[in-house]
Amino acid sequence: MVEEYEFEIKRKDESGKVYYQTYRVPKDQISTVLEGLLYIKENIDHTLDFRYSCRMEICGSCGMEINGKPRTACSTIVKQLKKDHVKIEPLKHYRVIKDLVVDMDPFFEKYKEVKPYIIRNDDGVYDRELKQTPEQFYEYANYSMCIKCGLCMAACPIVGSDPQYLGPAPLAAAWRFIADNRDEGAKYRVAVIDGEEGTSRCHFSGECTEVCPKGVDPSFAIQKLRKVSFKIELASLFGRS
Amino acid sequence: MVEANKEIKEGIWSWVKFLRKGIGYFAFALHRLTGIVILFYLYLHYTVLSNLLRGQASYNAIVRSITYGPYDSFLVLDFLLALVIFYHGANGVRLALNEFGIGLNHNKALFYTFEIIAMILLGIFDYYALQFVGVGF
Repeated sequence: MVEEYEFEIKRKDESGKVYYQTYRVPKDQISTVLEGLLYIKENIDHTLDFRYSCRMEICGSCGMEINGKPRTACSTIVKQLKKDHVKIEPLKHYRVIKDLVVDMDPFFEKYKEVKPYIIRNDDGVYDRELKQTPEQFYEYANYSMCIKCGLCMAACPIVGSDPQYLGPAPLAAAWRFIADNRDEGAKYRVAVIDGEEGTSRCHFSGECTEVCPKGVDPSFAIQKLRKVSFKIELASLFGRS
Repeated sequence: MVEANKEIKEGIWSWVKFLRKGIGYFAFALHRLTGIVILFYLYLHYTVLSNLLRGQASYNAIVRSITYGPYDSFLVLDFLLALVIFYHGANGVRLALNEFGIGLNHNKALFYTFEIIAMILLGIFDYYALQFVGVGF
């Protein structure tokens, strides 16, 4: 007899009805949760919807709540969950469109607010590259690993209680560019991140860092941002920009 | 600011979902819980003290009514309150240090260190509190 995993999936149909559906997936056919979902889609129930793309933890599309924790389905090995029963739900703190597909638009809108690109005071025309030492690179390297999967937003208890809070990923992105020696846009970002819905909302539960599949440390970045914001705000009081 | 979708709001329940969470989450959730307990105690304390406005007899009567038995029967609650205050205080110092960028790379170690120090201080407090009410060792 073939051994099987039991996938219990939270579903939401077009009418908005929410229910759990259980599928049995042969253990010898799959390795990751995403493979399990694809097996179900191809062999059992083609109406099941979920989002995925790269299958190798690069695109950040397949974020979902697996056994009560936000994870990317492609990099979650079912065997490592140490349970034959796998409970899968859509990410918390996002509006569910259908089954495991959530609306990521508000997340990306927040992301855009922190101006996640290099800002320069000059005209941006150069005849040579902008130099950067390895030490300067390592200042922000960790934060450039973010794949925008949004798991940190689903894990953050403050995003849960205050959906307007910018959240860990946008704030980590702000730090990624502020820490970049080529960037000169800190003062513009501080205007956004130092507001009521910015860094002061973080109460440092550290769950964002715990769930990040890429090892990014948003909680560290937020504390660093507070320090930078304080310095910039203090300098502005004395008329310095 | 992005208009938030109210449909996704979990409310303060997202503060007390301990399952599969890291130690940082426990520290966060307990900090909130102990903060509420301290706030509640503060107002209770004000309420009791406000009896002084009605004169010495009134205040003494209410103090007598809540302290009876061989020792101060509120002593157990006082110890629990001290536990809550020492926990909250120690974690608060850690968070303040973190906000200044101190100890961020060793945050978990810092949490354990501060809590151990807090519990030692609590033990010393409890010892002197018991001595004060006449319980000998």
